[in-house]
Amino acid sequence: MLQSIVSAFQLAARAVRRNKLRALLTILGILIGVAAVVLVSALGSGAREDINQKVSSLGSNVLVVFFQPNQASGARKSQGSSLTEDDGRALVRESTSIAKVAPVLRAGSQLVYETRNWSTQVFGSTSDYFQVRAWNVVRGELWPDTPRDFSEKVAVIGASVATELFGSLDPIGRTIRIGRYPFRVIGVLEKKGQSPFMGQDQDDLVVIPLASFRKNISANNLVGSVDQLLVSATSEETVSRAEVQVDAILRQRHHIQDNSDPDFVIRTQSDLRETQDSIYAALSTLLLSVGLVSLGVGGIGIMNIMLVSVAERTREIGIRMAIGAKEGDILVQFLVEAVILAMIGGLGGTVLGVIAIAILRRVLEWPMTVQPGPLIVALATSMIIGVVFGFFPARRAARMDPIQALGRE
Amino acid sequence: MEPIIEMVGVEKDYASGPVVVRALIDAHITVNEGEFVAIVGPSGSGKSTLMNIIGCLDRPSRGTYRLAGYDVGSRSNNARAVLRNRLIGFVFQGFNLLPRTTALENVELPLVYRGQRAKHRRAHARAVLAQVGLADRVDHTPNQLSGGQQQRVAIARALVTDPPLLLADEPTGNLDTRTSDEILALLQRLNRERSLTIVLVTHESDVALCASRVITMRDGHVRSDVRQSSPRDAGEAAARAQSEPEPTSARPGGE
Repeated sequence: MLQSIVSAFQLAARAVRRNKLRALLTILGILIGVAAVVLVSALGSGAREDINQKVSSLGSNVLVVFFQPNQASGARKSQGSSLTEDDGRALVRESTSIAKVAPVLRAGSQLVYETRNWSTQVFGSTSDYFQVRAWNVVRGELWPDTPRDFSEKVAVIGASVATELFGSLDPIGRTIRIGRYPFRVIGVLEKKGQSPFMGQDQDDLVVIPLASFRKNISANNLVGSVDQLLVSATSEETVSRAEVQVDAILRQRHHIQDNSDPDFVIRTQSDLRETQDSIYAALSTLLLSVGLVSLGVGGIGIMNIMLVSVAERTREIGIRMAIGAKEGDILVQFLVEAVILAMIGGLGGTVLGVIAIAILRRVLEWPMTVQPGPLIVALATSMIIGVVFGFFPARRAARMDPIQALGRE
Repeated sequence: MEPIIEMVGVEKDYASGPVVVRALIDAHITVNEGEFVAIVGPSGSGKSTLMNIIGCLDRPSRGTYRLAGYDVGSRSNNARAVLRNRLIGFVFQGFNLLPRTTALENVELPLVYRGQRAKHRRAHARAVLAQVGLADRVDHTPNQLSGGQQQRVAIARALVTDPPLLLADEPTGNLDTRTSDEILALLQRLNRERSLTIVLVTHESDVALCASRVITMRDGHVRSDVRQSSPRDAGEAAARAQSEPEPTSARPGGE
């Protein structure tokens, strides 16, 4: 049995070698399919790693509370956000799972340094902002942990803003204009890269003290009202408990019944992660189905060429049967040939996929990682395709009548 | 003498559309070990059908056929494949060697289906090729060999399993006279020296004369079954041709 399988392999390898061009064209479908599957899996696992990295860059224990007007608060909408600094203080005081809360005001504004200008987001917050986001300066310093009415005109700028306004100059101690007022740059934040959601540049921002924001950037803001509350849970594990507590505390403070819509929204990093995961999942499913269709087409290609091969070698089949080949011997011979074709396609596709991954990673800087699991699956799949699509032609060969195959009629 | 072929009332019908063609009718044939039988007859006489049945390529519609004691009619395709492999060596008119495959590999083939090891196969195939005078041609492919040489490879392939019966279908059909005589001389020698039973189908009377017994077929019937006391010695004819100056080298046969 082993002997006959070994001979079947030798035989099939020779048959494939004899028709190199035909074999190449036959395996193209499988090759492309496997390459696509390998690429998709690399893209998927790379993307997941990328998301994890970026989410942790934002702080995986961070919750963001946004103001979102509901029907009941429709009247208040014109007056701005219903979230207040007092809400933030209440959260820290009343919740067991919250470490810190940073109230945030934000506005788009134009920055000017000498002849350069740059439009960016200005955030007004307390020094807690940097702690919640676990964000430090690479140069200069943060403003001190001061009373909340600290309203010096100082600014901590993101890495992108530093590059855009100052180029290679050291920004520390220089004065920029935000809107109409001059601010002294005291710190430059470390680089965080793109945000996990929507891919915004997280380093394109300026952070100034909350009171200073109220005074100089948007003076008409309601006293105490803020746009967001940036909340850090005591740990990654307590995020969901913190979420429940934030919801309960804010409902109570805003006098909102349990069964009606609140006037705020709580976002956690896992929400963002889920959103992005589902986007990647949809993309992967799409590419994967393209790959699978290609594999199917490749399988049909193999079946087609094997049928041609069986027809061409009718006489050979007759000779083999006359000298003692059983149906099983002929079946195995052609099946092994189909499997070899499919496996060559699978191997070629794997190599092609890995090369494509290397190129994409270098040229487009796509996050991709090659993992052995998908490669093995791709090879196994191509083998299965060989068996499935090779079976029909092989059976046709095996069921030939030796007399007809020898042309003895 | 043991009978190797026993046919009792063997018939074969073919459905040709709505018409049933009776290709073989009531054949009673017994061939003993060591006989050299020629089956002759015009085309359509049923000799190919008879040959297919003797060769276990086909089963009789009626009657019983025993090959070396095995009832062929009751056996499945696979069982008959095993019988062919064990009991019969085939030699065909068109040589029927595998193209682009060396003489050695062609001869090895029946042993592959016996599941023998490559080393053993090769040694045995080499030895048999030497017996038919092709020791120096083992690595040639069929298109590098003359018609006579190709037929010798085919005979070697038929002999490599050491079968009790050699079936030759028009073995000289594609060969010139001198090469034909050489092949026939080889068959006669095998018959004489090894008591190899040979059944040979031909429509040439010259070829039939080399056999010790001639069965004549016509319209599906066995018309006559005659023993020849002094068959023509093909070896002598070949030797005579050798001494003549005429350079009739074997014309290259092939597919």
